[in-house]
Amino acid sequence: MTLTDVDPPSPAEAPAVRPAAASTAAKDRRARGAGRTMGILGAILLGGCVLVAVFAPVFTPYSPTERAGTPFARPSRAHPLGTNDVGQDLLAQLVFGTRLSLVIALSAAAIALVIGLSVALVAGYYRGLAEAVLMRIVDLMLGFPFLMLVIVLAAFFGRGLGTTIGVLATVLWARPARVLRSQVLKLRELDHVLAARAMGAPGTWAIARHIVPRITPLAAVQFVRIANIAVMLEASLSFLGLGDPSRISWGTMLYFANARSAFLTDAWKWWILPPGLALTAVILGLAFLGYAVEEWADPRLRRPAPRPVRRRALPPEPPDAAAAPALRLEGLVVEYRLPGSSVRAVDGVDLTVPRGRLVGLVGESGCGKTSIALTVAGVLRPPGRVEAGAMWLAGHELGRPARPAVAPFRGRTVALVPQAAMNALNPAYTVLAQVAEAARLTRNADAATERAHDLLERVGLDRSRHDAFPHELSGGMKQRAVIAMALVNNPALLVADEPASGLDVVTRAQVLKLLVELREEFNVGILMVSHDLPTVSRMADELAVMYAGRIVERGPAATVSSSPQHPYTRALFSAFPPLYGERRPLAGLPGEVPDMTGTPEGCCFLPRCPEGTAQCAEHEPLLEASPAGAGEVACLLRRRPS
Amino acid sequence: MKRHLLRTVGQYGAVLFAAIVLNFALPRLAPGDAIDYILPDEVAASLTPAQRTEILDRFGLDDPMPEQFRAYLAGIARGDLLVSVRFGRPVTALLFERVGWTLLLVGGSLALSTLIGAALGFRSAWRRGTSTDTGALGAVMFLDALPPFFVGTLLLLVFSVGLGWFPSYGALSGQEVEGLALVGQVLQRAVLPVATLTIAGLGPMYLVARSALVGELQEDYVLMAEAKGLTDREVRRHASRNALLPVSTVALVGLGTLVGGAAVVETVFSYPGLGRLIYESVLSRDYPVLQGAFLLLIVTVVLANLINDLAYPLLDPRVRRPRARRA
Repeated sequence: MTLTDVDPPSPAEAPAVRPAAASTAAKDRRARGAGRTMGILGAILLGGCVLVAVFAPVFTPYSPTERAGTPFARPSRAHPLGTNDVGQDLLAQLVFGTRLSLVIALSAAAIALVIGLSVALVAGYYRGLAEAVLMRIVDLMLGFPFLMLVIVLAAFFGRGLGTTIGVLATVLWARPARVLRSQVLKLRELDHVLAARAMGAPGTWAIARHIVPRITPLAAVQFVRIANIAVMLEASLSFLGLGDPSRISWGTMLYFANARSAFLTDAWKWWILPPGLALTAVILGLAFLGYAVEEWADPRLRRPAPRPVRRRALPPEPPDAAAAPALRLEGLVVEYRLPGSSVRAVDGVDLTVPRGRLVGLVGESGCGKTSIALTVAGVLRPPGRVEAGAMWLAGHELGRPARPAVAPFRGRTVALVPQAAMNALNPAYTVLAQVAEAARLTRNADAATERAHDLLERVGLDRSRHDAFPHELSGGMKQRAVIAMALVNNPALLVADEPASGLDVVTRAQVLKLLVELREEFNVGILMVSHDLPTVSRMADELAVMYAGRIVERGPAATVSSSPQHPYTRALFSAFPPLYGERRPLAGLPGEVPDMTGTPEGCCFLPRCPEGTAQCAEHEPLLEASPAGAGEVACLLRRRPS
Repeated sequence: MKRHLLRTVGQYGAVLFAAIVLNFALPRLAPGDAIDYILPDEVAASLTPAQRTEILDRFGLDDPMPEQFRAYLAGIARGDLLVSVRFGRPVTALLFERVGWTLLLVGGSLALSTLIGAALGFRSAWRRGTSTDTGALGAVMFLDALPPFFVGTLLLLVFSVGLGWFPSYGALSGQEVEGLALVGQVLQRAVLPVATLTIAGLGPMYLVARSALVGELQEDYVLMAEAKGLTDREVRRHASRNALLPVSTVALVGLGTLVGGAAVVETVFSYPGLGRLIYESVLSRDYPVLQGAFLLLIVTVVLANLINDLAYPLLDPRVRRPRARRA
């Protein structure tokens, strides 16, 4: 249930047909987020460490445990990092320590991942008692001080390489188990997995065939994360002198440096700093990689924030405000900018909504309706961008309706009832508080509360329910509360985007009826966006039909619905059965809305048009007076003979 | 609500019991017998088999397991956790002496890292994609990648050895002082360890706050809040209110991580806290102390989780007032 029904395709799917000319490289980088840079940095840091680990003997002729020189030697050509208290070469220790740290961290992480994945699969797939018990253990493990557990376990089981790895794996498996289990829970409800289960496929088969392959990317992220923690824990353990006593890791070096008080002389420069920075490099490399993969998997983290908007004082009422239409739009162009491609969701739309009238904007999903709604309400978010157009709100001239231009009018001149209004209420506040908060824009706190009570009662919410939290209300009641919130400051224009989606038929009819009543009572112009053509054509005064970002037909609702002209409008109407009159065969419309990354020559509906001719491929149809007598249509085949 | 409370407390009770059983079983599963466990190595090695049997008999360590377990439980109930091998004093007294210092470090750094981390994270989320956000993200990830003992050592080098602003050793100077002077002294010596632990705890807090608020800002109610004409500050309050939930969880559950970090940091600064006690007990094989400290940690962690579960309804009305009636 997202608000934008134009969800731009991912860059991989959308070839760059029309390069976004105005967008600069800097903007592209912004849209891409920090993940990419971090991924590259992380790979370089880690790759460097792996190279050092693999080719350790190339970097130093000494073994980390042999006495290679005099104790406490300062850096020299033979010992670039000097020697420690027993004359061991510190560079050799650093280089071979890379090996040890990586081997311990990666093997502990691998074992922990296998355990965690198994627990996740058993708990997530089979559920029941196994899940309850396993997840409680996981909770406890997650809350428990890792390091303390490692110390105590290491103390009980003795020191050594095997113990260290085993102990680390023991404390690390819980994290991947929790994360992966929630994913398994989602996957097991997928249709084909359900089907496989219903047909009696054994659990092990369904897990191996359907679940494991899909969970692998997430498991990879988890591996990186726990490897990160493992490096840190191993270093801490060795720093406390509890690691494998026969091998020297970075933590061990720091343990001896600390025990010999290297920080009191300038020996810290070659004894403490190098292993500390090496540790930081590995951990940072893993953290960067983890973040990059996570951002790649969750595009939300990549989406840039809209620029903050400061609310300015509302400009003075223009003299002709009462007579002016609630909304006038001219040549609106909205694009969704993605790195390497851009989608033109709205392509030159003119629209007028008079006060006290209801204009229906209809079309299939993905034709640009919601982009218009969000633009007009002043809440279009990046990557959406108003490229061109002009807008007037109740006589105020706004110019190009970008966010900051519309923002001062939000809530007062233009209000929004968003799609999926059930989610439009903040779960943390009562309904009354949320309506009163909006009312406070134009009055003091006491008056606002009074006004909120009045409006909520007007939309049919009993006073006893005003202090309810959203989760305590039914879908219809929430919808009514949202309408009250939108109308509380007597706006000139109400933008209702699929205002009754997700409601049952009876509630939907009640809510729509309420909207029609309120339109007259508040003398508010309503722009209703919907794909429910039969309902809208009955309620609306005027109808505008959109296809691929353009209006292809508009006119009085009665005319458009009784004699639709554009082949697309006809196809839309014939996809619904009439309630009265003779029975007609229902006809679906083959094909889909074009992906709008590039506009083809000629009529954009041509690929799906049942009546298309050769000239349609060459000329782009413009809105012209409709042969139906009223309204306009953009179709070469419906031009009135002049 | 009452049922929810009972169930939560019951579940944590069960977890606690399991942990106590584990604590009982762990030393008995470890290599060597009980003599190695209670007595220092040198002493244990010099015992004759007859002496060994006598000691086992006197401490009830050759009793059947259920009998031993009952005695162990009774001991816990009385607050009697054996006697430290190294100090020759009751473990309970030792723990009480040390735990306060650790609470000071962990509590202070938990508060600081939560406040700073959440503030930075919320700011980053609000300005995500800008250089403010990227800069903060990179900086916090760098700080998070520094091992706590390395940070501690560096701070020691700069502020203690180099600048001489703070003492490098212990929690008290050893001079007899009272009142405000005492408080000042304690605070002065806590600054560096608390700073180290704060840096260690900052990363997870920042990341959780950031991603929680980024998530909330995509919610429809934020769009509605904008559309109804609220200022950016008010919109941010709407979203932050809900993003606080995961932040509070991480704060309380992160307690465990910080206590772990305390072991290392207390070693760097020779701070007389619980972590250092555990560490020294490991080195001197003072198992009774280890076992007691382990138990104390489990209780703390379970309590933190319990508090988190019980505090959750205060933040989330959906839990506080589960849908009673539907219209």
